[in-house]
Amino acid sequence: MRSLKFLALLLAVAILITQSGCWSSNEIEDLAVYAGMALDTGEESPEEKTFEQEGGSYSKQNKITATVQIVPLKTGSKDEVKGKTSPYTNITGTGDSILEIFRQFSLRLNKPIIGHHLKIIVISSQLLQQRNIKQVTNFMLRDNDIRPSVKIFLSSGKALEALTIKTPDEVPSFYINDVVQNQFRTSKIMDAVLLTDLDAMMHSKQSFILQNIIQAKKHIEFSGAGIIKGDTGRWIGNLTQEDVECIDWLTNQGDSGTIKTYDEQGNPITYEMKAMKTRIRVESDQDNQLTFQVHVETKGRISEDWDMEGNPALRSYQKEIEKLFKSKLTSMIEHLLSAMQNRYKVDVAKFCQAVRIQKPGLWKEVKSNWDEAFSASKINLDIDLQITDFGSTTK
Amino acid sequence: MLSSIKSHIPGWSVFFQALITLVVPLLIYRIYKALTSLADDKLVSSGGADSSDEEPTHPISASYDANIDEIRNTIGINSDVVIRELTMGDAKVRAALIFVKGMQEDQLLKMEIMRMLRDTEPDHPLPIIERLPTNAAHTISTMEELTKAVLFGYLALMIDGRDEGFLINPPSGPARDITEPVSESLLRGSRIGFTEDINVNTAMLRKQGVTENLQVRSFMVGHTIQKELAILYLDQIVNPDLLREVTGRIEKIKLDFAAESGYIEQMIEDNYLSPFQQTQNTERPDRVIAALLEGRIAILLDGTPFALIVPVTFSMLLQSPEDYFERWMPGSLLRILRFLAAFIALMAPSLYISFISFHPGLIPTELALTIIETRQGVPFPALIEVLILEIAIEILREAGIRLPKPIGPAMGIVGGLVIGEAAVKAGIVSPFLVIVVAVTAISSFSIPMYSAGITLRLLRFVAMLFASILGMFGTILFFLLICCHLSKLKSFGVPYLTPLTPFRWSDWKDFFVRVPIFMMKRRPKLMKTMQNKRR
Repeated sequence: MRSLKFLALLLAVAILITQSGCWSSNEIEDLAVYAGMALDTGEESPEEKTFEQEGGSYSKQNKITATVQIVPLKTGSKDEVKGKTSPYTNITGTGDSILEIFRQFSLRLNKPIIGHHLKIIVISSQLLQQRNIKQVTNFMLRDNDIRPSVKIFLSSGKALEALTIKTPDEVPSFYINDVVQNQFRTSKIMDAVLLTDLDAMMHSKQSFILQNIIQAKKHIEFSGAGIIKGDTGRWIGNLTQEDVECIDWLTNQGDSGTIKTYDEQGNPITYEMKAMKTRIRVESDQDNQLTFQVHVETKGRISEDWDMEGNPALRSYQKEIEKLFKSKLTSMIEHLLSAMQNRYKVDVAKFCQAVRIQKPGLWKEVKSNWDEAFSASKINLDIDLQITDFGSTTK
Repeated sequence: MLSSIKSHIPGWSVFFQALITLVVPLLIYRIYKALTSLADDKLVSSGGADSSDEEPTHPISASYDANIDEIRNTIGINSDVVIRELTMGDAKVRAALIFVKGMQEDQLLKMEIMRMLRDTEPDHPLPIIERLPTNAAHTISTMEELTKAVLFGYLALMIDGRDEGFLINPPSGPARDITEPVSESLLRGSRIGFTEDINVNTAMLRKQGVTENLQVRSFMVGHTIQKELAILYLDQIVNPDLLREVTGRIEKIKLDFAAESGYIEQMIEDNYLSPFQQTQNTERPDRVIAALLEGRIAILLDGTPFALIVPVTFSMLLQSPEDYFERWMPGSLLRILRFLAAFIALMAPSLYISFISFHPGLIPTELALTIIETRQGVPFPALIEVLILEIAIEILREAGIRLPKPIGPAMGIVGGLVIGEAAVKAGIVSPFLVIVVAVTAISSFSIPMYSAGITLRLLRFVAMLFASILGMFGTILFFLLICCHLSKLKSFGVPYLTPLTPFRWSDWKDFFVRVPIFMMKRRPKLMKTMQNKRR
């Protein structure tokens, strides 16, 4: 009797296990992993228009167009097909809510899409002219699939075109994701802004910049940065590549950087930075008029010099060239400062941090309209550039 | 007022959940109790029967004919019992040598005894036992003892007119040569392994070094067929409570026949429901001596080269004598490597299942893409896929043991390669899984104790089931379950996981890392030895 009861219990447990089966299990090959996402202004793609003509539509106002890049495309069972097919497929949908668009994809795809491996989000600056970045990225911040380490980029042209660039045997999303690694070679690439950074910056209501991508004939270039105004969350303009470079000089973050200038004869000479140290001191008078003393200290080498006469080993020659570089760097930084203070009236070079740390009392007062206070402030530049090295040859 | 309280009372579903969380542990506890009491019942019920088989004893009578007749009637019907009758000296006193063929190989001794008997007058002043040309002889007085001893292999001598028998020369049956321990071979270390003869085995232990403390105590186990069992310990070191416990359990053994020390192991272990072994078996005398020095007790059984060491802790199963023979740094490295291997052997397939079926986001992107591409054609869910290959490997491993020696290893390698390659080609499994299964198999071979390896192999399948139902959550649940069980398990009163829990910092010197020998000045605390200092 007892053993019978025991047997029944064992059976019950066995049934429980087998019936519940594989809860929420979903084999990896039955999922569509998307690696990149592009957000554009609401404009239906040609195939969507055709769908609509056939009657495939639902109630929507076409506020946004979302494109996801699904990898890898089924390569076919044998190797011979490989090489002909592209390693990815893009799918575009237009609608009002990103989640709804994604659910709509389920009508067109044979697998559910998952965002665990999302690497980049490219947002067209045109879209951000119309909508607040908070609205556009709301879904990505809420979704539990998408990692907070997704990199955010802006695109001058259509964002979805950044996902269709020609890359040899590589997925455009990964390609763009990897370009950021070249940062150690040029400071024209800014630190990647991750989704979590974006969240923090949007909450702080300070203006910030996002890496801009431009396209030409299915090729891309990282070029400058788009400025997002803090209080409106809209895109207001772009900084140039040299401006982005100078932001690194000002925020003391550059670990790579070159300055190219010309001597009197028009020969190009290039300075390669090896070490830098930037200090910003904040001063203020009675009416809260701010003055920033920016002190840039840098050491580096002459990496390229087309001048055939001068002897770079001579200290006098070096001093001469130092002056040239100094004036070039000053003009570059001043270009950035004028763009920030006069043209866009935003602080995207973290001057606010200096104020917050050095004058906390004052910061509380100016915090609410910092961009205006910054635009009205005076900035004094003091550059100390020193050439320590001229490479392995004097000529 | 009442409504504000009411709003805090949870709904019926919460109460139902609370009920479930109350009932399920209680149920499990009850089942466990019932199962353990099953083992106790068996011990008690079989224990009641033995008091009645006390047989009346037959003393050896002075009449030679009566004795020989009785021997002929009891054991004489066996064709291998030899009764060699002869006459002593000129007095024509009759005598008989009784022995079993094949168990007294010493022809010279028999000849000597026969010549001595022939030449001896019965009224010789010295007692006959002193004149026997052997150092092993004693007298017995009952017929039962005599027949038993003869069947066990003694050479018995009966002389007319004496109401006693002589047992000469203990059995020297066929024995195997001393060889290298097959299941625990080392690169560095003695090449000696136990044999089937308990006397040779105890001698081997004595030969490890000179000590007066090494004590051997003998027991007979088995009801129908008896066998000698010996427990060995170091007198000044072993904890007397532990010794009492071990002897108590051995005395309680109720067995027909102990074929191997595995029988003893299963009769004296603490928890028969645990998948983990609670005694350590070894063929290596050096291992036994090392354990004795830590205050443990060794159990040797006649007829098997496997000695048992009790109590055992988890870390012992992953230790090898080589850890101590090599210098401490490589020793520690290998030991940590083995812990890692044990983890892989236990968890790798279940981690694979949970990653593939439940958490694709936890795989690095590039790897995830490769897996997706390679798994495109696989028609099975991850669990079935893993089971196919795992079972194939396990069958191969089992078959490898049975295969004739010359083709065994070749078959293992070829079989593994062929099956893996063919399964990938046929699209049954993904190539990534072949790596996982191969790494798992290699890892499980690196565990020095074969029986611990089997335990992990068994648990691996349980882990896979957990993983297939609940993914990573299930895998973690399984791991916690194992941890709970291990921390509760005891081997002869010693917690299985010491020094991890209960936490004993001083014993960590010989846990993951094997510290230099000069730093190991004390015996393990967990054994509560009588003599704490090692020197």
